[in-house]
Amino acid sequence: MNSIILLTSFGILNLFIGFSKSKKIIMPLVLLFLAIVFVVNLTGWNDTQTYFERMLTIDNFAIAFTAVVVLTTILVLPFSQSYIDQQNDSLAEYYSLLLFSLVGAIMMVAYENLLMLFVGIEILSISMYILAGSDKKNLKSNEAGLKYFLMGSFATGILLFGIVLIYGATGTFYISEISSAATAQSNNELTSPLLGMGLLFTLIGISFKVSAAPFHFWTPDVYEGTPTFFMAFMSTVVKAAGFAGFYKLMSVSFAGAQNIWFPTLIAMAVVTLAIGNIGAVAQNSFKRMMAYSSISHAGYLMIALLSFNDRSENAIFFYSLAYSVSTVAALGILKLVADQRDDVSYNAFNGLGRTNPLLAAVMTISMCSLAGIPLTGGFFGKLFIFSAALEQELLWLIIVAILMAAVGFYYYFRVIIAMYMREPSGDRVPVGSVATFALIFMTVLTFVLGIAPGLLSNIL
Amino acid sequence: METTATTHLPSDYLPILIQFAAALGFVIFAIVVTHLIGPKRHSKVKDAAWECGVESVGNARTPVSYKYFMTAILFVIFDVEVIFLYPWAVNFRGLGMEGFIQMIVFMTMLMLGFYYVIKKGILKWE
Repeated sequence: MNSIILLTSFGILNLFIGFSKSKKIIMPLVLLFLAIVFVVNLTGWNDTQTYFERMLTIDNFAIAFTAVVVLTTILVLPFSQSYIDQQNDSLAEYYSLLLFSLVGAIMMVAYENLLMLFVGIEILSISMYILAGSDKKNLKSNEAGLKYFLMGSFATGILLFGIVLIYGATGTFYISEISSAATAQSNNELTSPLLGMGLLFTLIGISFKVSAAPFHFWTPDVYEGTPTFFMAFMSTVVKAAGFAGFYKLMSVSFAGAQNIWFPTLIAMAVVTLAIGNIGAVAQNSFKRMMAYSSISHAGYLMIALLSFNDRSENAIFFYSLAYSVSTVAALGILKLVADQRDDVSYNAFNGLGRTNPLLAAVMTISMCSLAGIPLTGGFFGKLFIFSAALEQELLWLIIVAILMAAVGFYYYFRVIIAMYMREPSGDRVPVGSVATFALIFMTVLTFVLGIAPGLLSNIL
Repeated sequence: METTATTHLPSDYLPILIQFAAALGFVIFAIVVTHLIGPKRHSKVKDAAWECGVESVGNARTPVSYKYFMTAILFVIFDVEVIFLYPWAVNFRGLGMEGFIQMIVFMTMLMLGFYYVIKKGILKWE
């Protein structure tokens, strides 16, 4: 709760700091704000508090995921250096929108009432609609903003309709109270069609937000048009918070009504994995590949969702963290490279190993982590998810996922080949000192997660 | 017992369906019939766009000054603020000090937003 209040106040304060002459002061201040929020958030560990008539619960689950999204934002920020250098007029507004959208993300992981989930998703999404279209003079960015807004608001409508139907079937918005009603109804022969419809609509709404197939169609187009800096935020924070909220809804409210949603979600997980990985193979643009990669990682996270036992909570947490760190590193490097070479395809990375050995090394490690190679965080992320699924006896689903992970090697390694085995396509890419520090930090974190996963794998 | 009075069968809603069909039927009927039997006379004056009796000037799809949108958005902000103020004012005594502080926080946020708008130069026209 303190983190929500702090983020809101800092966001407003930041808007006024934006009026200062120097644009250089804003980023260090926002980093400081986020660091304060990160620490204050962690002080609530093991101290569960409820707020607003039990509508929000700040427990360890919420704190852990808040830490993930705040840390991700801290790591994304250094890559906005080019906005500062260009004296972008809206810089403070961009940062404030990121801070405000974090409030939505925290509400999505801390909700205890479906209305709070809805409000949280909306706070996060509306900021994202604006940021997707923030490059106002770029046609692609306009397209991304409009597409995301139109489709997103449609999905929101469906989600809201689902929540209403669930309310109609159970008479409550509180997820713990929905649980008993849902369990009773699904064991009864006379299951209310309202509950099934409501659950399905809610699933559609949330699946859209986390871009799970078959509700993923917006993802490649929107991510391609969105400025890379905001894409790094969108594809990590929205996914981590979305899956935490998704998991909470399923495990608390509908654990007893498994017969209604389990087959649907299994089918969706398989389709998501297939479309994400096979779609990524066909891409020539690195940015679009990362969009499809985010779809495929949604598929892996859905497997953790499906296994829902005592391991899946930790598995989702660990996977979100590992995925966020490597994705931010990869997209941060893409931003640096694309700013200089004006290209977001694989060719932009040609010869990066010779011109910028550090960038190439960090990129290689984050690609290995995304592909799931041992010694990186991504490997243990996948391992925990698969072991959670194995306990639920979903062996065939794991086999499908491993096959798809093997497909993933192809497109993740294409960029490594381009970096080390092609002639350089441009000069040395300039990297700011803060960005360098962030990149090294992310690499170290990826290794720490990959070598000593026990530090964070059992905290929930 | 009054159990029968509280249960509604789907057939109880039949009159609504009939009403709906009648309304739709009349609309379709009226449109089709006027097209069939109405006289068709065209002249330059008759086909011109009617604009309150004033001669129409130019295209309707011209860019509109953003001032109108800004005024509209700011109006909505203050409108919503007043909507929240009314129930608070009615229950002022009941809500007491806590309600007062909450309202102060709410108003401060809105005023900060308004100050931001002015500082950003949104209201500086020309």
